[in-house]
Amino acid sequence: MLFSLAFRNLARNFRRTLAMVLTIGIGTGALLVFKGFNVGIMNQYRDNTIHARYGHGQINMKGYHNSVYEKPWKHWIEDYDSLKKNLSKVPGVKLLFPRVNFFSLLTNGEMNISGKGQGVDGSAEFSFFNTLNIVEGKNLSDEKEGIILGKGLARALNAKIGDRITVLGSTIYGSMNAVDTYVTGIFHTGSKEFDDSVFRIQLDLAHLLLDTKKVESVSLGMKGLGLWKSIEDFVADSDIDLESIPFHVLDKVYYQHSVDWLDAQFGVIQIIILVIVILGIFNTVSTSILERRQEVGNLRANGESRIEVLKLFSNEGFLVGVFGAIFGIIVVYAINLSFLKDGILMPPAPGLTRQFHVKIELQEWMAVQTFIIGTVTSFVATFLASLRVINQKISDLLRSV
Amino acid sequence: MDTIFSCQELTFSYSFGNVNIEALRGVSMDFQKGKFYCLSGPSGSGKTTFLNVLGLIEDIQGGDIEFEGKRFRNLKEEDKNYIRRNQVGFIFQHFNLFPVLSAEENIEFFLVRQGVPKKERTDLVHKALKDVGLWDHRDKRPLEMSGGQRQRVAVARALTKRPLVIIGDEPTASLDQKTGKEIVNLLKNLSDEYGASIILSSHDTMVHEFAEELVILKDGRLT
Repeated sequence: MLFSLAFRNLARNFRRTLAMVLTIGIGTGALLVFKGFNVGIMNQYRDNTIHARYGHGQINMKGYHNSVYEKPWKHWIEDYDSLKKNLSKVPGVKLLFPRVNFFSLLTNGEMNISGKGQGVDGSAEFSFFNTLNIVEGKNLSDEKEGIILGKGLARALNAKIGDRITVLGSTIYGSMNAVDTYVTGIFHTGSKEFDDSVFRIQLDLAHLLLDTKKVESVSLGMKGLGLWKSIEDFVADSDIDLESIPFHVLDKVYYQHSVDWLDAQFGVIQIIILVIVILGIFNTVSTSILERRQEVGNLRANGESRIEVLKLFSNEGFLVGVFGAIFGIIVVYAINLSFLKDGILMPPAPGLTRQFHVKIELQEWMAVQTFIIGTVTSFVATFLASLRVINQKISDLLRSV
Repeated sequence: MDTIFSCQELTFSYSFGNVNIEALRGVSMDFQKGKFYCLSGPSGSGKTTFLNVLGLIEDIQGGDIEFEGKRFRNLKEEDKNYIRRNQVGFIFQHFNLFPVLSAEENIEFFLVRQGVPKKERTDLVHKALKDVGLWDHRDKRPLEMSGGQRQRVAVARALTKRPLVIIGDEPTASLDQKTGKEIVNLLKNLSDEYGASIILSSHDTMVHEFAEELVILKDGRLT
């Protein structure tokens, strides 16, 4: 009957109850949206990291990633074809991207600029690495002699799409070599150092220039997230001394630090939202309870203990919390499925020149978590507000009007 | 006749602003079971304080009260709650009904809290509604009833608890003379039937006429 009384008390003062439900609903909804937005941003970062530069991770010879060698090719993977054959059998592996890095001179006949080359499988990478920020032309695909240049490098060479560029370098045996290319695209990552020095050509062309068939690393495109463990298992069981490095380790500065930073920021904002909701509920509930002091006095005079009275108000707080949290969650889901179904248009992120949509990625665990937070917040605020009244003397409570 | 309350040298004071008011100054008296008492006296004489101390609404400061073999001084909180819930019924000047509950539910509420089984509860409530003449109004909420009807609900609510004593602080003060008389008459008749003692406070001479014993207080002392 206490629960029924609590329910009816809420229905009795509809406007006040509505205000409390809205306060909880808005607070819960704000938390849910903020969580979903953060997950959306983090997923964007993650997808950008995976589909612009690193894939889901890479394999190289053990210790290579964190070492500097005078002759790095001595530590490259010797038999890529064999490795490719074995890797293709690993569950979850979708695409393989063999790569080499090398230093060379680029010349257009008028000037020479040094740069850092990347030999990539353009055809394979074209479809997977689809978030590389191309500012002119297009990404490298099946153009055998194509080259894409970093924005700063292209500016230094005064290169335009279709211009001929000769790549000069030394083979792994120390003799000079050169390959001819033409510009198919210009990219911009936002990292000045990267954009001023890096260019990409086809892996076959790079092999020709370096006079080797070795690959420095193999980036991997997996069928989904969470499948990297199979690569780690493969590397552990491999006869070759390899190491596997997932994308979040490869891109610790950009991706992992962003995730950590957003997590910390979210924690602070969550506390702020909770404090605002608690104060809002506390204020509304306090007013309501103060107006019902005579009722509390009546209950106490008829033998209800302080705990029982506290239960009555806490029941009300709990009910408001449940209604408010459900209301907030439903509204957020409804808005997300209608007005925000394409996400929120965001200005270019650091390192990008294009706008992008961040989707509010709502997950079941978030709804459950925010529901619990909303309900508990309401319960706690009501509990605290009730404490002030139930500790008053019965005679004082009965005298109040 | 058995004694229900035995009061010895009750004293009680409280602060009102900077002024210390001695509401009870050594009140000693016995209340007999089944009898109708009316406390009277000028405003500030200590009537409400005396009732509050008898009903365990105020803690005892000085002296003591013996009630059903228990002494109120140093009584545990759960014992106080038990007495208030099961052995004392209250009727207030402003009725103090739950506005969200119907007349029937208001009467039933404290029976639920007493743990009375559903069947017995229903019988008690229905009898009480008929006894106070509110059977046709049982579904109405307090705001849909007149002052007299509300006080009838309060009387029914107090009686169905089957208390040993009913304590009422100015129960007719918010009612007109005719309605007040009906309520006190009803209370007296039903308390005889239900076997409860009655202790009311009132300035009203009409109420005094119903009382079997009039207790006059002045400046916190019995006269």
